[in-house]
Amino acid sequence: MTKVRSVIQTRTTVYVLALLLAVGGGYGFWQSYQLRSTPSAENLAVVDASLTAEVRSFVSQGLTRVLTFDWQDPAATTAAADQVLDDKARSDYDELFTTLEARAPGQQLTLTAVVQSVAVKELETDRAVALVFLDQTSQRASDQQASIAAAQLSVTAERSGSGWVITELQPL
Amino acid sequence: MSRHTTTTADERSADPIEPDELLESSGSSSVSPEAADAASSDTDEADPASDPSLPSGAGSGAQRSRRRAQLPLAAVIVGAVVLVAGSFFWWDAERDPQLAAAAERDQVLIEATTAIETLNTLDYRDVPAGLAAWTDVTTGTMRDGIAAIDEAMQQSLAGEQKISTGQVLEAAVLRLEGDAATVVVAVEIGITDDAVPDSPETTKRNRFSADLVLTDGRWLVEDLQQVAVSLS
Repeated sequence: MTKVRSVIQTRTTVYVLALLLAVGGGYGFWQSYQLRSTPSAENLAVVDASLTAEVRSFVSQGLTRVLTFDWQDPAATTAAADQVLDDKARSDYDELFTTLEARAPGQQLTLTAVVQSVAVKELETDRAVALVFLDQTSQRASDQQASIAAAQLSVTAERSGSGWVITELQPL
Repeated sequence: MSRHTTTTADERSADPIEPDELLESSGSSSVSPEAADAASSDTDEADPASDPSLPSGAGSGAQRSRRRAQLPLAAVIVGAVVLVAGSFFWWDAERDPQLAAAAERDQVLIEATTAIETLNTLDYRDVPAGLAAWTDVTTGTMRDGIAAIDEAMQQSLAGEQKISTGQVLEAAVLRLEGDAATVVVAVEIGITDDAVPDSPETTKRNRFSADLVLTDGRWLVEDLQQVAVSLS
């Protein structure tokens, strides 16, 4: 009887040990999950250099194309908008473009956008928010007037197929 | 399936099989894979029934208790594997350079935001305190430049009777390389002009690029430049 009891006791001890080991391991998994699931850890901006560069390049080129306008060739800008903009950015842009198109031929207006800087603030594999500094020069051939405006924009981009589209443009 | 196999093995051992019989059955093509498995597992482990030191009648009981004894051992092994794997994942997350870089990036952004707000804030009623705050968040030549603002210059700043308050609207890290970082910020500066009583606060928007260096655990501004309007 005592032998049986001691066997049972030993076995219980061993099971408790196994359980403790598993609990320790589980704690490790939980800690690992905690470390990797913070908002900071999930934000790939700067940290993922190639994805950051990809977004910067897209936003820079896309905005330059969309915000550059020649009254003699408005279709080029519209075509760029079709490729680059979507959702809210698209509807905001269409609104702006309608007034621009109405005025442009009379004033013989050209707009030239130069992106000064694009810094990615938030980045996931399929969504990014960037802070963009850009200058836009407008030239009116009708009265030889030129002006330049500095803009700060918060730009939201989302992945679309193999590329990206800008879905929101928020002037700051 | 494995449990089923074990049962089969136990049943077989209760009725000991001759080695020739085993060979024959495992060699025969009509035997299912499970049965073959069970048979081979029996031959792998020393069969207590064939051990001359044990009374042949005790065979089935001894084997059953041995198998039962293996269960706690298996549990410990599983527990140990879970512990090793969990510890590895924890350790791997702790030393992950990407996670460390992400934390550093956020830290830079927080400290740069505060520093740039400070550098766009000055109250004419206490210029020395304002300048002291500036030197506290800067380093290098920029700090030297602020420290070099003399009494006369301070008097003239006080004489302007302006209170400026900087507020960062948006900031993002452009570059982070070791102890050096570049942060871009859009700032709104509110200016109250006490020289004109009851005048409303005016605001202006500015955009800056700031270079920061990690100095004694703090990110300090080394250079702060307006991103000028330019045509290229």
